Amino acid sequence: MNPTDTVTDPVTTEIIRCALGAAAEDMNQTLIRSAYTPTIYEMKDCSVALLDEHHRVLGQSLGVPIFLGNLEVVTQHTEREHGRDGWRAGDVWILNDPYIAGTHLNDVSVYGPVFAGEDLVGFATCRAHLRDLGGMRPGLLTNSTEIYQEGLRLGAIKLVEGGEPRRDILDIITRNSRYPDLVHGDLFAMIACVREGQARLDAVIERYGLATFRAARDDVFAQTERMERAAVAAIADGVYEAEGHIDNDGVGDTPLRVHVRVEVSGENILIDLSGTDDMTKGPVNCGAPQAVAAARVAFKLLVNPDGPLTGGAFRPLSVNVREGSLFAAEEPVPCSYYFTPLGMLIDLVAKALAHVLPERVAAASYGDSMVVLFGGTNPDTGQRFSFSQPTVGGWGAWHGTDGQDAMINNVNGAMKDLNAEVIESKFPIRVTKYAIRPDSGGPGQWRGGNGVEREFVFTGDDGYVNLWWDRSVTPAWGIFGGSSAQPPEVVINQGRADERRLMKATGHPLQHGDVVLTRSGGGGGYGDPSLRSVDDIKADIREGQVTEAGAQDGYGWDEGVGS
Amino acid sequence: MTLSGRYRVALDIGGTFTDVVAYDEQTGTFSVAKSSTTDHDLVEGVLSALDQVVDAPEAIGFLVHGTTQGLNALLQRRGERVLLLATEGLGDVFHIARGSRGSLYDLHYRKPTPLVPLSDIVEIGGRLDARGTELAPLDEQALRKAAGRVRDAGISAVAVAFLFSYLDPKHELFAERILREELGDDVAITLSHRIAREWREYERTSSAVTDAYIAPTVRRYLRRFDEQLRGRGLDVPIHIMQSSGGVATAAAAREYALSTLLSGPVGCTMGGVALAKQLDRPNLVCVDMGGTSFDVSLVVDNEPEVVSETQLEGFPLLLPVVEIHTVGAGGGSIAYAEGGGLRVGPASAGAVPGPACYGRGGTSPTVTDANLVLGRLIPDSFSGGRMTLDRGLAEAAVSRLADELGMSTVQLAGGIVEVVNATMAQAIRTLTVARGISPRDFSLVAVGGAGALHAVHLARELDIAEVLVPPNAGTFSAWGMLSTDFRHDGSRPFLTTVDAGAMAKLPEMLAEMSVEGSQMLDAQGVEESLRSVSYALDLRYVDQAYTLTVPLTGMDETRSPEFAAAIAQRFHDAHKRRYGHANVGAPVECVTIRATAVGDIGSSRAAAAPVETTRSVPAPAGTAEVVFDGVPMATEIHHRDELPLGAEVRGPAIVLEATTTNVIPPGAALRVDASGTLVINVREDS
Repeated sequence: MNPTDTVTDPVTTEIIRCALGAAAEDMNQTLIRSAYTPTIYEMKDCSVALLDEHHRVLGQSLGVPIFLGNLEVVTQHTEREHGRDGWRAGDVWILNDPYIAGTHLNDVSVYGPVFAGEDLVGFATCRAHLRDLGGMRPGLLTNSTEIYQEGLRLGAIKLVEGGEPRRDILDIITRNSRYPDLVHGDLFAMIACVREGQARLDAVIERYGLATFRAARDDVFAQTERMERAAVAAIADGVYEAEGHIDNDGVGDTPLRVHVRVEVSGENILIDLSGTDDMTKGPVNCGAPQAVAAARVAFKLLVNPDGPLTGGAFRPLSVNVREGSLFAAEEPVPCSYYFTPLGMLIDLVAKALAHVLPERVAAASYGDSMVVLFGGTNPDTGQRFSFSQPTVGGWGAWHGTDGQDAMINNVNGAMKDLNAEVIESKFPIRVTKYAIRPDSGGPGQWRGGNGVEREFVFTGDDGYVNLWWDRSVTPAWGIFGGSSAQPPEVVINQGRADERRLMKATGHPLQHGDVVLTRSGGGGGYGDPSLRSVDDIKADIREGQVTEAGAQDGYGWDEGVGS
Repeated sequence: MTLSGRYRVALDIGGTFTDVVAYDEQTGTFSVAKSSTTDHDLVEGVLSALDQVVDAPEAIGFLVHGTTQGLNALLQRRGERVLLLATEGLGDVFHIARGSRGSLYDLHYRKPTPLVPLSDIVEIGGRLDARGTELAPLDEQALRKAAGRVRDAGISAVAVAFLFSYLDPKHELFAERILREELGDDVAITLSHRIAREWREYERTSSAVTDAYIAPTVRRYLRRFDEQLRGRGLDVPIHIMQSSGGVATAAAAREYALSTLLSGPVGCTMGGVALAKQLDRPNLVCVDMGGTSFDVSLVVDNEPEVVSETQLEGFPLLLPVVEIHTVGAGGGSIAYAEGGGLRVGPASAGAVPGPACYGRGGTSPTVTDANLVLGRLIPDSFSGGRMTLDRGLAEAAVSRLADELGMSTVQLAGGIVEVVNATMAQAIRTLTVARGISPRDFSLVAVGGAGALHAVHLARELDIAEVLVPPNAGTFSAWGMLSTDFRHDGSRPFLTTVDAGAMAKLPEMLAEMSVEGSQMLDAQGVEESLRSVSYALDLRYVDQAYTLTVPLTGMDETRSPEFAAAIAQRFHDAHKRRYGHANVGAPVECVTIRATAVGDIGSSRAAAAPVETTRSVPAPAGTAEVVFDGVPMATEIHHRDELPLGAEVRGPAIVLEATTTNVIPPGAALRVDASGTLVINVREDS
């Protein structure tokens, strides 16, 4: 990059930086508050970015951390396909190809160029999880073996042309969805978000002028890069490795290795994922851009959590994915659960760096989304329904503090689970238990957080349940002598003749009155359990976080001696 | 209601000062007084302030009070131990707290610590379903056992939050009956459906627990306060400011302690409402800038913006509350360098060590230091001369950072102020533009120690034409309380699609809610002729989560066969205004019915009849050199209390007063209007 003429100063730069950050925040608010589906407005399964004309981040706001820094891949791809001249004012584009964007088909990117007069000055982009785009069954497929089974796949096409929504394209998309109205509503929320971004970037450039804006942008990028290089330089040079296994790919039953090798050298850091297993038949494959994004999340969590998200971020970081591996999905492998290996990847980077960043890391978290999906007929309305939710669990302990109980996994970001009153009002499901699961967190000087127990009674007809539960082969590990957490489990009709224990299921039939009990895992412990104070153990027992039996097993607790 | 006494009085008891504003109905004049807050016995401070303005407590015809007792109990975590009774199987919901993570890039994120530990949550058998039908009766034995625990452990507050109580409260009412039988009247009992008749058990439980947590503190305080004032001769009921911006009797506030939670902070907005009516400027942006934070609230069409849900200390509260946005920007905001760039705030130097110029050991440059370097603060007139600022220390602090950034000291000082102004302007923009409101239609009201220092720059940034600085800014909140109404906010769940069939049920439901509102106003003693009830529906597209509150024109329109179509259209319009798009034709869903009963309690605003003022151009008390746009300019200094009504001052000028410093930059002009308000035209040429 050529140095720009100096037409800015630290004050103008900072004001422009804040304005761009605020623009991204307001774009995200526009999207969240006008969206139709809980996936977006409650689970915040969406993210937005304002990019400059070179596809670099000016401002970003995320509901889901693993979308960190990968909206630019869609504008870059579009430009490769359609040329720089393909960008026209008033157009809004759409794309959801997992091999390009890195996620699954439900994650749809909507984006448009921003012009200042004749000049292309940037892009307003957003991504959100749409409810349904077809596929063999409602919800994320747990046993797909080809992308074609998973739904409608779109390359870069125009959703809005010259300011007018394209009815033909909207027709194709909504006609291929089980929930056309919801998809229609959410797409318009995304278009509104892009327009908000276009207007805001336009306003900043109009106010400060293009040259000043660009000079400020360069300053901002340089500031971020300096901060990150300094942060990496502070980590001891060396090569650090860690690995774990996800249970299986949903189709076979072989555990799949996720391997992380971190190389720190001066101001640079490499996260090498090439030791990870090959692409697989089931839907746990992940497009390369998303693996890069997850590595960036790990970098940000550990190296520079407070730094601004700008185009200068991640310059010291390189990420290596191996062609043909889980982290570089290629047509036609399925991708619906692309995130399962990513949650583990993030925890593994922390494990690898534990000995050089002992106070910054944490033990592993419960790790995956632990999805339960119910489907069937609602006896009140006679209509088919489906309802799915991820499950919260325990997080890892860190130096000086117990892990947090019952919190959503990294991959789901800012999600809030639904209240029982909301679930029961909308669906023929009763929530009969929702409680902290004692003893599930790994013992340690600082205890891992506990997972939850949640019990559903199915009161519909003609029902089924899909399950995606993982992390039983490698439950959340402890660090510095801390113990591992308990793995998750799902029991259907516990104590009845037809009791079943399942972790993954597709279309497992449910009768009216069947009971699905889910137990999520805890987080890992930090430090030797024998160093935990008697007072802390007593408090854990009093609060029901640890049972007396659990205290005996995990801490060698003997009530007579302890009290 | 008749007001027999001569004075209408508002009391605002803050951490440092107790403010009293009295309106004399005979003379039509206001008087204000201040005394030090007497922590050991608040009434002492109140009486010493009252003595300055009112002949005797007997002469008071109306008394309203804003209290921070509940809020402080929550913020300082010194509320009451609460036992929570919850539905069997779901007792931990309050701790699971919907599992959300407040910060995405923090491996060490901690959830807010709940106000009730798991060991103080008792599950009680009994269950309703989503239609309100009983699936299992409430377990009376378990209730009595829980009551025993309350008695044995000496617990003084119980919160009861059962599933689906918003549909049918019978289980919560039954629990109350048993608890009263067992425990008598001394224990505070909060039932979740009384706090909020809305779905979502976590949020409702959180609201009920917070109420129970602060209720004993609030009740004790109000009882003592009432007794002591009565002992000195007060013979009218005490009224309490509610978070919703309305007032209620102290007796009603004791029963609904949560409603007093933001009793103090809303005063400023209510001052804005009073000012809007007094000056006939219905749309105001009220900004209150102090040492650490910048609070913004709006007055639209003479009304505060009231929302039905808020969050405090990480806990959701289903509570009607005047919407106030807070940004970490204040006089104490620290400027620093990061990656070679300039940052200002949100970290604050607070009061200790405070800005470098306070001379209390602070060395980081703050916004206050920058203002001092620019000459916009006068060192020996800060805070009415109660404190002297050290300009040398301010310059040293700013110049250290200026060297680091390669700027001159004055350049950087100007820059720090510009950045903090941009941050504040952004907060206002988010509150207005992002909702389809144009700030151009507003005047900006500045209060707080630092508000008037920045107000004109902020207004210019937002294209607002005029800044208002009310007289007695220090007692603005108390003054605002005098002009508020009784207010009761009622809500009912009404989850249905908007169609003619469902809407036909509305007239009856609204009538019931109207009766409930009337009963509340009866209890407050408001005359029939001074009452009004307004209605609104919380609507959304089917499957949306967030609702928009859409007002009805009255009960009558709901009887029209066209109502369903009309209200759906009103919702489409509102959605389009708010979000820029509407989905006309898509099914619309109703979630909640709201009814707000308002009782006019008479007003003191008629008093401020406009007086003819003579234009005058007063001579300055002095001059100083002040930097504007990087250029030092000779600037007039005035003292506000020496400016007569009608006085006009052109910028650049500084107007000093006891609690703040008004900066009038070049190009702006100030006039003292008939009410004593400083009206600043921010662009003289406009």
